[in-house]
Amino acid sequence: MRLRRFTIYNRLILVLWFFLPSILIGQSRNLLSGYVLDSLRRPLENAQVTLHPDNKIMQTDTAGFFSFTDLYSGTYKLEVRRVGFAPSMHAIALEDIDSLITIHLRADARQIDTVLVNGKVAAVDNLVRVESSAMPVKIITRREIELMGSRRLDEVMKEQTGVAVVNDVAGGSRAVGVQVQGFSSNYVMVLIDGQPMMGRNNGNFDLSRISVTNIERIEIIKGATSCLYGSDALGGAINIVTRHGAVTPQAQASILYGSRNIVDATLEAETPFAHQRGSVVVSGNYYRTDGFNTDRQFLDNESTTFPPYENYSFQGRGRYRVSKKGTFGLTSRYAARKSTMINAWSEDLRIEDKQEDQELSLAASYDHSFSSALRSMSRYYYTRFHTQMDASWLQQEILAGAESFGQQAHRLEQQFAYTPMQALKFTGGLGAGLERMDEQSLDERRSLNTAFAFLQTEWKATERLLSTLGLRYDYSNAYNGRLSPSLGLQYQLHSSLLLKAGVGAGFKAPDYKMRYQVFFNPAANYLVVGSDRAKQIIEAMDASGEISFKNTYMLNILDNNLKAEKSLSNNIGLAWSPSPKLQLDASLFYHRINDQINTVVVANGTTITSIFSYRNLPKAVNKGFEVSATYQASRSLQLSAGYQYLIAKDLAMLDSIRSGRYPYNQYNNAATGEYRESRESDYWGIEDRSRHMLNLKALYTYQPWDINLNLRANIRGRYPFQDINGNQFIDNADAFVPWHTLLNVTLEKRIFDQRMTIRLVGDNLLNFTNRNMLGQPGRVVLAGLSYRWMKD
Amino acid sequence: MEILRKIITSTRQMLPLHSGFLLLLPMLLLSCGKEEDTRPALEDGKSTVVYDLPGDTEASLGEAVDGKQQRPFYTFLFRLRDQRQIWIKSQADSSQWLKTSDWDLAFTDEYNSGLYLNNADFEYNPGFQGAAKNTAVVLVKDAYDNVTTAPADDVFANSTVNKIGWASSESSSGWFQYSLNTHIMQALPNRTYVLRLPDGKYAKLQLINAYKGNPQTVTNMNWPAPYFTFRYFVQQDGSKNLSTR
Repeated sequence: MRLRRFTIYNRLILVLWFFLPSILIGQSRNLLSGYVLDSLRRPLENAQVTLHPDNKIMQTDTAGFFSFTDLYSGTYKLEVRRVGFAPSMHAIALEDIDSLITIHLRADARQIDTVLVNGKVAAVDNLVRVESSAMPVKIITRREIELMGSRRLDEVMKEQTGVAVVNDVAGGSRAVGVQVQGFSSNYVMVLIDGQPMMGRNNGNFDLSRISVTNIERIEIIKGATSCLYGSDALGGAINIVTRHGAVTPQAQASILYGSRNIVDATLEAETPFAHQRGSVVVSGNYYRTDGFNTDRQFLDNESTTFPPYENYSFQGRGRYRVSKKGTFGLTSRYAARKSTMINAWSEDLRIEDKQEDQELSLAASYDHSFSSALRSMSRYYYTRFHTQMDASWLQQEILAGAESFGQQAHRLEQQFAYTPMQALKFTGGLGAGLERMDEQSLDERRSLNTAFAFLQTEWKATERLLSTLGLRYDYSNAYNGRLSPSLGLQYQLHSSLLLKAGVGAGFKAPDYKMRYQVFFNPAANYLVVGSDRAKQIIEAMDASGEISFKNTYMLNILDNNLKAEKSLSNNIGLAWSPSPKLQLDASLFYHRINDQINTVVVANGTTITSIFSYRNLPKAVNKGFEVSATYQASRSLQLSAGYQYLIAKDLAMLDSIRSGRYPYNQYNNAATGEYRESRESDYWGIEDRSRHMLNLKALYTYQPWDINLNLRANIRGRYPFQDINGNQFIDNADAFVPWHTLLNVTLEKRIFDQRMTIRLVGDNLLNFTNRNMLGQPGRVVLAGLSYRWMKD
Repeated sequence: MEILRKIITSTRQMLPLHSGFLLLLPMLLLSCGKEEDTRPALEDGKSTVVYDLPGDTEASLGEAVDGKQQRPFYTFLFRLRDQRQIWIKSQADSSQWLKTSDWDLAFTDEYNSGLYLNNADFEYNPGFQGAAKNTAVVLVKDAYDNVTTAPADDVFANSTVNKIGWASSESSSGWFQYSLNTHIMQALPNRTYVLRLPDGKYAKLQLINAYKGNPQTVTNMNWPAPYFTFRYFVQQDGSKNLSTR
């Protein structure tokens, strides 16, 4: 008895101790819990419930249940999101009492351009929302990524409609980039938590650098987005939102192993601390692959065209609520990659190509709500990227090429979100950046100082009409100031039919190389001179008798006159959901790039064959349409499809053909023996762009066994790879990659009360490879396990 | 048994739903195309086809690194009669060979891509002031197979074709195009060179590729070069008949 009493007494103390803080503050704390159900009143597992303004996040369990503890009474907003459903927002007035609510989600599988109601927060450390770009946005959630069984970001991206991952042969064997709606990688900005990532190879951003393990979601903006991100977002942007703190302490370990000795191992842990005032997430990932050889016809078995590599990455995120209104956040990320690739055409023609990449980034943010209408976000970001490449001919011990490149940046930004009334919302900000290249020889030109200011307005003029207006001004020491506007409209034609239209501007400033670099290629005997120095250098060469011909007219045009590349993106579309089970989307897009920068011959030398510089040309047009459909065929089967039709043409190329300029004036078809003057209609379009891209997806869930089967077919129409008949434009006599289908499947089974997941992944099951698709490995089969510990 | 029944019922449930998708599958599989190499065959039974004749590959392997100037490419000579390759690496080699009529073609300059027919009259020709009198080159902008007779004597007499290299302009008689975007040499398919050789015989020549293995596309900036693939036909009876069909 004594013992028992003691225990009870002890417990009482404990309970008192637990409640002491709230008692001291003199305010009780309550519980807010609820269920998330679909329109058929079935529980929805894995829905993400975010509590604003605290930004606490919960995932629903198998019963669709969630709960938030220790809440002060007051007004909250609950944001509920789940794959396959339209996000919803709920205002909750929490009194001094625990509350239980029920939330119904409406099916909407594609999540494209979700209608904004009352505004939603894109990320905990960024007030800028991608929807403000007025361009179509595709969001890929964590669950979708899981179901794809993908390991690296490039694998996730290349399964999206209108997105392709392509090799840039001219940039070297490691130049791989992502193409969005016909825009090449150097026009697509890549950001992590809204901060630009560095490290490009010939303009290409290699997404395989990034592991998908700690990604919460990916936002793909198709079209000019400089109104959000400034220079470089000329054709679009990919924003990676990483995971932040959880409410329940938990840890997860996973491993995948299979073909090509691929290993993908991840450890993650997250926990709240200080009574949910703070949270921390840490994760580490190791990945390796043997690479793949797509060109067995010419390269021996030891060779690869898709490089073998080893990658480590670590990320930590922490958040701490320093006061009721203020939250401090810290993110750090480190990734390193090592790769050694052999390309051997014969025993004595063996090249060893080594690469080492390192990247580090640190970000800090302070989020402060002055009132329910005014919120501020202060952000600082530091990033550094370094890469070292060496290629040498092994037998001959000759260096084939070496490059070392380092770059770092600091960025400071102050954002505000102001909501003076329900229907009106402003997001604005000011910022400055300092970017620096390691190369000493560039002297003062290696620094790029920028300053920017932006304002986005969201106005729900009537119940049916929502308009977004964005403006951003960028200024830097390297180019003149530039204003990037955007305008988006959404009009509810009918309760199930939404009309969307948007127009946005983009730009990309000329880089250092285009303005100042002097580059001589002794092997091919030509010289490239940056536009700002062309006139001076050629006049000096002329004075010493090294010039046999110079284009004075062109030199005068170029002199300090190289303009930023500009783009204008337009889109209009309809979203139709005739029933909760069916969602259809169609949109037309038209992108025009002006003043695209290209090389031009400015002189011929007496010993040097040709001297080139850079000029602006009225350039490319990407136009086409995209349609997508999602159909919930039954409780357990979801079907979806996406299709893109694209015409991507270089208008300067058409000009050259029309005016009969050499070498564009010829059409040579060695196969048919047809040799004649070229015609405008011979022009097929820009390299690496398919006219047709079709994605089909079936997600089947067998509830009794807790099995998910996700089958995807990515079909790409034939696309040109290289000009092989010497007229420097693509016609039907050039080299193409044929129509092909990549069939991917993921099988997932959960056991031990959902704690363990067994996964089988099959990529490219049809084993399609082509020697002109260097980065597409053949069939890959992987098997893996993941286990999750969760504190009850 | 319980499990078996579950499988059967679930399969039955799935079937009608999946049939649409399943019907699509074979179509998808069929849509996997194969882009064939559509270039015409090189061998015609009459012509001599030279595959992968290595040029000065050592000069081409390295880039000019750390300010070190790259060594210039050595010239080599080629004799059509016996496919003999003759290297000119020293002064002794030059004086032994250049002014003789014992060679037909010289491969000079960057990547040995600048060709000359042995000729005594043209300045800059390696055979300048040598023994090869009365030789000439005429460029015919047609496919190799289609060139069946050598042009008339006055066409040869008026031809000023000397170096055959980068076809950088309309008037150039060069054999390849070089792209600044891709940095790849691409042979022009409709260029056939009709030659009047040092011994007075007529021949036709087509240059096909400068990359090892004669690949249709070059997928690596370090693809070994120069390795020349070319074909030629020498009419041994001295006539102008160059038909190789």
